[in-house]
Amino acid sequence: MEALPASVTERLRVLTHGERAVAYLQIDADLSLVAAGGRLDNYGLTTLRLGEPALEQAFFLEGLLPLVENPYFVPSVELAGGRAANLHFYLETDTLWVVLLDVTAERDATRRVQQKAYEMTLLQEKEALLNRQLEAANAALRATQRELQASQEALVRTHQRLQCELTEAALYVRSLLPAPMSHPFVAEWYFVPSTELGGDAFGYHWIDPDHFAIYLLDVCGHGVGPSLFSVAVLHLLQAASLRDVDFRHPAQVLSALNDTYQMQSNSDLYFTLWYGVYQPATRRLDFACAGHPAAVLVDLRSGDVELLKPKGLPIGLMPDVTYACETIRVPPGRYLHLLSDGAFEVQRADGSALSFSEFLKLMTHTPQEGQIELRQLYEQLVALRGTATLEDDFSIMRFAF
Amino acid sequence: MSAAALQKKICMLGGFSVGKTSLVKRYVQSIFSENYLTTVGVKVDKKSIELSDRLVSLILWDLAGEDDIASLRMSYLRGAAGYILVADGTRPSTLEVALSLRQRVEADCGPLPFVLLLNKIDLTHQWSIGDAELKQLQDNGWRVRRSSARTGEGVEDAFRDLAIRVAG
Repeated sequence: MEALPASVTERLRVLTHGERAVAYLQIDADLSLVAAGGRLDNYGLTTLRLGEPALEQAFFLEGLLPLVENPYFVPSVELAGGRAANLHFYLETDTLWVVLLDVTAERDATRRVQQKAYEMTLLQEKEALLNRQLEAANAALRATQRELQASQEALVRTHQRLQCELTEAALYVRSLLPAPMSHPFVAEWYFVPSTELGGDAFGYHWIDPDHFAIYLLDVCGHGVGPSLFSVAVLHLLQAASLRDVDFRHPAQVLSALNDTYQMQSNSDLYFTLWYGVYQPATRRLDFACAGHPAAVLVDLRSGDVELLKPKGLPIGLMPDVTYACETIRVPPGRYLHLLSDGAFEVQRADGSALSFSEFLKLMTHTPQEGQIELRQLYEQLVALRGTATLEDDFSIMRFAF
Repeated sequence: MSAAALQKKICMLGGFSVGKTSLVKRYVQSIFSENYLTTVGVKVDKKSIELSDRLVSLILWDLAGEDDIASLRMSYLRGAAGYILVADGTRPSTLEVALSLRQRVEADCGPLPFVLLLNKIDLTHQWSIGDAELKQLQDNGWRVRRSSARTGEGVEDAFRDLAIRVAG
């Protein structure tokens, strides 16, 4: 190294000594402290005992002695009191010198820069983590969306299949209803279930050449269960398959049905029924009623109305019920109407309810014969309600005796 | 040197901000600070621990966290009797750093006793290192522990575990 002027060397010594808080330790071959000096207090080395082990007094020397590399340098070591020192080790004959130079200012400056860099890196890591979590959440969301879509498609397919089956079932129920007839008297009907499958069913048939059975029933509720139940009862009436029952006697039929279909054993279902037997030769009509709306006998010429409603509980409510049978002779020119409660229990668009007498007026003020008349009655009721359909099943039969 | 003055140099190694300084502070002074202050160079502390048959003074060299493994100053490790590898359980990348550091130390210093500490166990909901990964390390003979400098959980045990091994 090029020799420096004595003045510069001296200045450097003063600067180093003043700014670097120079301190030293002198250690012998036995690792005992033989001398120490300089700014020892700067590094917390204030209670050194000469002649005693150096490692016990300056514990930062642990592992570094004896020296295996000469000279040796350990930078920026923070000692007691928070001061940072560069440690310079070198051997002279059997003596080890340890020189401590204060680098606290440099350490603090580096720390400020490093701190910002690390904090920035931590923020970037956090941002990357949040992005990954966001991506994972998005992927999970997309997967859920796909599953939902698949479920919806499956649901739509199932709904369509069920709709098809319900439509088929409704067609089947409708196929069980009797064809209109015109001889020896006119029989016609109009039927609109509130849903695909309603609880109404009706029919008429010849029991024998002299006795003509007519009936309309209404199972409580709507849907598959009530509809299946109404079909079962309809089959039973059509087949006259109640043992020891004379289907020419309405009260007997209702009692037998009540014994057969108690609601406790039929999914809590019960039904109302109007059942009558007409004998054309004598114009005699026997009839019984199980909680059903009255049949309406209308004289179209005078507009007179007679309600046919013997007392009787709905079928299935309680066992051992006796039903009354009534008999009338039907004068010529009379029209008998059987209907379900859904045909006249109509709420107008303004919220008021149509009364039965108002319904009767509607019915008797449409004197034209034929099925179109019954459809017109239905359309008038729908118009009153202000919706596309009625709330309940609409069933009405008409007989021109 | 008397048996009572047995001293062992232990180095704390790991990526930055994994909690090395906090672990030492918790172990030596039983305190914890939420403020993160990066370490520059090395900080030396001393803690005496009483084992069953002797008193051991652990000289703890808390090295600056480096993710650049090549920049690790091996001069700091000279004379170390063992080391504690620290990783942050909420940052999987710090486990990678710990694995690399271990390779570097083993290459330069030979096999030394060490403990892998997965720190910040108190941040349960942010924990990101799987058990399977740790089991694989344990199956390879690694001493793996979980710790929290904030609560002190697992800290004393980890240092004691290493002290027993380096004093033996």
